[in-house]
Amino acid sequence: MTRLLSDEELVRETLEGREDAFSELYDRYRRQVYATSYRITQSSEEALDATQEVFIKLYRSLSTWNPRKAKFSTWLYRLAANHAIDCWRARRRRAESELVEGAVERDPLRDAFHSPQREVENREKVDEVKRCVDDLPELQKKVFVLRYFQELKLEEIAAIEGCSIGTVKTSLFRGTQAVRRRLARSIDPKAGVQK
Amino acid sequence: VKSHYTEDELLLALLGEGGDPGVASHLEECPSCSAVSGELRQALDVVAAWSVPAVPEETWEARRVALMANLRAAPSITLSARLAEGLRGVWSYALENPLPALGYVAAAIAFASERTITVFRLDQILPGTNEVFEILRQVL
Repeated sequence: MTRLLSDEELVRETLEGREDAFSELYDRYRRQVYATSYRITQSSEEALDATQEVFIKLYRSLSTWNPRKAKFSTWLYRLAANHAIDCWRARRRRAESELVEGAVERDPLRDAFHSPQREVENREKVDEVKRCVDDLPELQKKVFVLRYFQELKLEEIAAIEGCSIGTVKTSLFRGTQAVRRRLARSIDPKAGVQK
Repeated sequence: VKSHYTEDELLLALLGEGGDPGVASHLEECPSCSAVSGELRQALDVVAAWSVPAVPEETWEARRVALMANLRAAPSITLSARLAEGLRGVWSYALENPLPALGYVAAAIAFASERTITVFRLDQILPGTNEVFEILRQVL
């Protein structure tokens, strides 16, 4: 029976030139990296490309990872979130220059990947959340995705972002508040007004 | 006794991120805070329902093949490769700037000689080391 290697061991073996060690890291984390990218870019195609680019960046910067500073997964999710933010920013600039209207573009791979059974019953609400997250400022978006979907602790996010826990908390509060108000407004247009 | 908790405090308690331990008992008695907390919980439930489209296994496999091919074409990241890369950089600097490079080498030799003699106390072990060291110092 083969023993499951730790992330640290796989990183060390990759740095020693073992290609299959990196392949193992890819298998271990590709889905989470893709999910992070998808929730920020909100496009399957773009998220797949971003995942690929994140792993190339990861490979090149592997020797700079310091296990005493952050867990490998935390470090990787931050890399993924930053890269996805860059992609999102670039797309937004393109959209502005092309004067394209509409907040969330239609995702061509979505129908191919989605089975009807997996559709959530409150899809309109989820779409509302997506639009709201798309409108959040960069740091709020990043903190929102890392906290709610990658389930990183606020201290971990503060450590990898190099900012205070207070800044991270404020970003999360504002992002969550925006989502809650938007959802409340979508049910009752008069609701969601500041208390 | 706190009359009401803020939305932020209620959120921290919901997330289990070191919120006030008194929140749970307060929520049982306070309908207003309980309503806000309930609304927050509903919002978080909707957020959690945001699923990610599944990617077929063959797409991942094709992406993996492309990734590994890309990495094989990239410069190696092994320690020896990075060391060789560093040495190549030093060598090209030396070729482009021979005089400063010679100066650095001479300074390094002088420093190393002095450290070797003083740290290992060679001057006490070998007769005449002090004289050799003095000559070396004058030459350099």
